[in-house]
Amino acid sequence: MIRLFHVSKFYGRCSALHDVTFHIDKGEKVILAGPSGAGKTTLLRVIFGAEVPDEGQILVQNRNVARLRGVDIPYLRRTMGFVPQNFQLLPQKTVYDNVVLPLIIQGVKRREARKRVGASLKAVGVEHKQAVRAGALSAGEQQRVCIARAIVNRPVLLLADEPTGNLDEALADEIAALLRTIHAQGTTVLLATHNQRVMAQMQGRVLHLRAGRIVSDSDARAGAA
Amino acid sequence: MMRAWYLVREALTNLRVYRGSVAIGIVTTAFALACFGVFLLLYLNLHNLAGSLQRGIDVVVYLNPDAPEQTVAEVRRRLREEPAAVTVSVVSKAQALREFRDAFPDDALFLGEMGDNPLPVSFVVTVSPGFQTPESVSAFAERVEGFPGVAHVRYHQDWIDTLALVVSYFEFGAVVIGVILAVATVTIVGNTVHLSLQARREEIEILRLIGATGRFIAVPHVIEGAMLGAVGGGLALALLKGAFEFLRFELYASGWFDGLERILTFFPDPVSLLLVLAGMALGCGGSVFSIMGLIKTRQG
Repeated sequence: MIRLFHVSKFYGRCSALHDVTFHIDKGEKVILAGPSGAGKTTLLRVIFGAEVPDEGQILVQNRNVARLRGVDIPYLRRTMGFVPQNFQLLPQKTVYDNVVLPLIIQGVKRREARKRVGASLKAVGVEHKQAVRAGALSAGEQQRVCIARAIVNRPVLLLADEPTGNLDEALADEIAALLRTIHAQGTTVLLATHNQRVMAQMQGRVLHLRAGRIVSDSDARAGAA
Repeated sequence: MMRAWYLVREALTNLRVYRGSVAIGIVTTAFALACFGVFLLLYLNLHNLAGSLQRGIDVVVYLNPDAPEQTVAEVRRRLREEPAAVTVSVVSKAQALREFRDAFPDDALFLGEMGDNPLPVSFVVTVSPGFQTPESVSAFAERVEGFPGVAHVRYHQDWIDTLALVVSYFEFGAVVIGVILAVATVTIVGNTVHLSLQARREEIEILRLIGATGRFIAVPHVIEGAMLGAVGGGLALALLKGAFEFLRFELYASGWFDGLERILTFFPDPVSLLLVLAGMALGCGGSVFSIMGLIKTRQG
């Protein structure tokens, strides 16, 4: 599903990622752990095609992201779901309009889109909020809507960047449970977090990042790849 | 279908939300197009005037005052054989004298004192439409001047040449001013759309996040630019029409240029439509210009 070979990324003279190598199989649930500034977000952005690595190769679903042309990146992203830390919803639009957007982009027909948005919102437990403006929702609800938007196009890979970073413990637990459910339905999940509680709840393979390097991998097989 | 509707709806939302900058864009586009339109109207009317003068060209062929009947007949025959001549009418010496007396009654006495009628026989030749260019008329006149018995050929060549020169200057001026105003309009619309883009940076980032292509992001802005340009073009057209009718009425009321108000014409419908389309095209151009960088970028 995801293969990184000796990936490095520099911002000026500062190394954000250094010689990162690992692979993630289809259906895995992987937690990128590490303190702030360890390189978790950069790693996700590199996999997502938002950053180009300075060294190394990245294969996502057998496509070399580092060599993809800018115009091909959106098509790669349509196969993934991305849950950012700060929700990134359109506050003036309704929950429905936010969640349906990826389907509009892909040209899904209206009836099918309505069905899929309904199913996604139901999966995250906010189906009754469809007509509410996203800006009027609580933080926990906004994060759920964000997850609904990420899964509405049935991605094979879900990337989540500190999805519980702005939430209290109870809400963080709910989001972790939600991500576990999504994984149980067959989606590969890569979650970046520094929250020990969420890591414990997710019960997945843990990749520890520190200063842009992988310092430990709970799956020795993958670490050796 | 849902995608097309979304894109149009987004464009309309942009126009509504950023109505302040949109209004400025419309007014400035209208002003720029109206300036160009004024020039175009002047050019069009001068061109029409030149054309109507060309169409009314009569070449007058004067014979020598003492030309015998035989020469008169010969010149008439040769003129009728000319492909450039549509009609050839003869003005006899007596008819010429009558016309002179009618036109210049004060000088008629002077002519009477000269004894014999000194005015020559002349022919008035109407030039065929295919020969109504300054070059053809000039060539025709030169040829006729070589006929035996012909003293002089007269037509309003200087006047026509001057008018043609003025029209060509206007043509050149219209192109130059058109280009300058087109660049100005593209910049204005571009800036308007750019402001809307800046205000929507976060939204654009979100769209990229969920797999929107640069084109998908750009289309509502291009539609917005086209709508802005079309409204600007329509407004320019309305301003021009209003100003044109006002001027025509004032000319008529003042009586300074009798009949000129009847000659003046506004843009024909296809040209009016073209002006609106030009506004649209400039609006699209401005939008594309301002979002070009956005389409190319890889960031998400």
